[in-house]
Amino acid sequence: MGKILEHHSKQIIRQAGVPVPDFHAADSVEQAVQAFLRIGKPVVQKALVPAGKRGKAGAIKFSETSRDVQRHAAELLSMTVRHFPVKKILVEEKLEIAKELYVSITIDKNRQMPVIIASAEGGIEVEDLVAEQPDKVVMEHVDPLLGLPAYKGKEIWSRLGLDNELLLQASDILQKLYATFVRCDCYLLEINPLVITKQGSLVAAASVMAVDDAAMFRQKDLIGLVEVGSERSWRPLTALEKQMVAVNDADYRGTARYTEMDGGEIGFMCGGGGGSLLSYDALVDLGVTPANYTETGGNPSEEKVYGLTKGILSKPGVKGLFVAHNITNNTQIDVMARGIVRALKDLQINPRTFPVVVREAGVHDEIGKQIFTEAGIEYYGEDKTICEAAAKMVERMKVV
Amino acid sequence: MSILIDKNSRIAIQGITGREATMITRHSLDYGTRILAGVTPGKKGQHVHGVPVYNALREAVTEHGIDTSLVVVPPAFALDAVQEAIDNGIKLIVVTTENIPQHDTLKMLNMARKQGVKIIGPNTVGMITPKDRVKLGSIGGDRPERCFVPGHVGVISRSGGMTAETSWMVKRAGFGVSTSIGVGGDALIGTNIRDLLELFENDPETHVVVTFSEPGTAFEEEAAAFVQAGGFSKPLISYIAGRFTETMPEGTVFGHAGAFIAGNTGRPSEKAKKLREAGAYVVDQYDELMGVLQSVLTMKGAK
Repeated sequence: MGKILEHHSKQIIRQAGVPVPDFHAADSVEQAVQAFLRIGKPVVQKALVPAGKRGKAGAIKFSETSRDVQRHAAELLSMTVRHFPVKKILVEEKLEIAKELYVSITIDKNRQMPVIIASAEGGIEVEDLVAEQPDKVVMEHVDPLLGLPAYKGKEIWSRLGLDNELLLQASDILQKLYATFVRCDCYLLEINPLVITKQGSLVAAASVMAVDDAAMFRQKDLIGLVEVGSERSWRPLTALEKQMVAVNDADYRGTARYTEMDGGEIGFMCGGGGGSLLSYDALVDLGVTPANYTETGGNPSEEKVYGLTKGILSKPGVKGLFVAHNITNNTQIDVMARGIVRALKDLQINPRTFPVVVREAGVHDEIGKQIFTEAGIEYYGEDKTICEAAAKMVERMKVV
Repeated sequence: MSILIDKNSRIAIQGITGREATMITRHSLDYGTRILAGVTPGKKGQHVHGVPVYNALREAVTEHGIDTSLVVVPPAFALDAVQEAIDNGIKLIVVTTENIPQHDTLKMLNMARKQGVKIIGPNTVGMITPKDRVKLGSIGGDRPERCFVPGHVGVISRSGGMTAETSWMVKRAGFGVSTSIGVGGDALIGTNIRDLLELFENDPETHVVVTFSEPGTAFEEEAAAFVQAGGFSKPLISYIAGRFTETMPEGTVFGHAGAFIAGNTGRPSEKAKKLREAGAYVVDQYDELMGVLQSVLTMKGAK
């Protein structure tokens, strides 16, 4: 799942024929001023970050004069919005607004269909609107096999009170947005607000677009525009997390996901999507906080296991290592053992004094057990459950 | 008995000549599962561990009367493979492929629904019925008996790996499974917990169901509503992993793609509450599952 910054999404919908304000992206105050002069009208400046609710965060500013533009651009470029430092801003023509509408297309996971959400009350958070004034919101599901029939758009906007030329314009825009939603493999395309200008035309004043990164193999044009994986985290990746992404990307076999946590003494090297969640809960229930979250599995290579283990152990303050997995269907325990033991040796960590507790069972676990045991590591297989092994880990940590 | 698959299933593997599929074929045959045919376009006449390969599913259906298909193809071909299966009258399709574009998944799920076809997955480890030694997918690997022994417990899991671990816990508690099934790790799947509870309700060989859940989706909430409405009357034991994620900032994904919390939907605590209200045994510690299972099955045995 990846978000696309607004200057890119605006460009994409503009190419699809949706009217947007005149806009430029700027990464310095000088560029912002130049953009202002080129637009030749009052402008709106917005922080370009992959986070929502920028208005509330003070990351949208209106500038009338060159001096305003300078001051606001400098302010924005020194901000951090919801953990994302602002490196670029959007400078765009300020519209003369008569009315604001709302429209978005997303995937309804429960109904398993795309859904259009539209309202005649734009410019505010749609979650609030749905909660407070549900009667002002129209929701219309679309059959993904048939697409959006033209009449649906007219139905939707007519229900919201549009008429005459505006009804036709809004329906046309919706058709183009839906086509973009499908063509770009979006899971979200939101226009908020869709502005009716004083001149009587419709303009998409702000756009949010998020693309399914599983579809990147057929979205070559979007490569580089999508912040791949940006939906998995609530903040930018840390340096260690970036290193672990590189470890994961270096080999297609298996997965190695790493999330750094605040504090914690136990390095967490666990596997299976569900198995990792369970292992983490087991430690937390015993009153300890792991130093990181990890999810490995899918039969990773020794190199990947080695790199991930080294990363986990390199975080300052880590004083022990917990290795656990559900009983594996295909992940080879001997390969896991070789990678982990090699990382410990490289870092000159002695498992007799630095607690390492392993619970790994499954494919080739006889050999795995031998490798772990010979390295002096406390090993459990099918003789213990994950929770029992977690208790052993916590016990060992008491004497560190 | 069991649900969905048994010794009469007539199984084909779409994408059979691939690396992963070849391994699945080997393990399934060793276990005793009859794989009648495979499909890989352009490879007709070849054999994978003795299983004949065809260019198109239509040929396999004509020759072998296939009614069940296991899809093991790369993401870009998954939609077409599923459509091929639906168009050829297959009624049960197990889709192992991970990372299928969501728009493709939407299409395949809507096609299946319209045609009354059951899809398990995508992104599933598969399912297994130990009594008949039938397995579909990578579930159990090369040694299914390690975790899966015949019995009367139905297992439903949102995690592939935990399908095995949970079935192993059932074995450790002294019991076995009727059918164990991984529903798939994604939020968009063909058959959810509620649907499977309905099938287990009608299976006389299943006396109790154990579920392994994760944060995200409304699967547990829907299952709870189904139980509440009387759709499932057998004992239900549930464990929901990932309670720690509730204290993390919103917008974080841990584990599977389906494990995404937005607002209040998908919170493990909410799921646990709803399931408890519906009368399910929700265990906070995974290991408690064994004790609860023992007491539930002993009570049933005493009746």
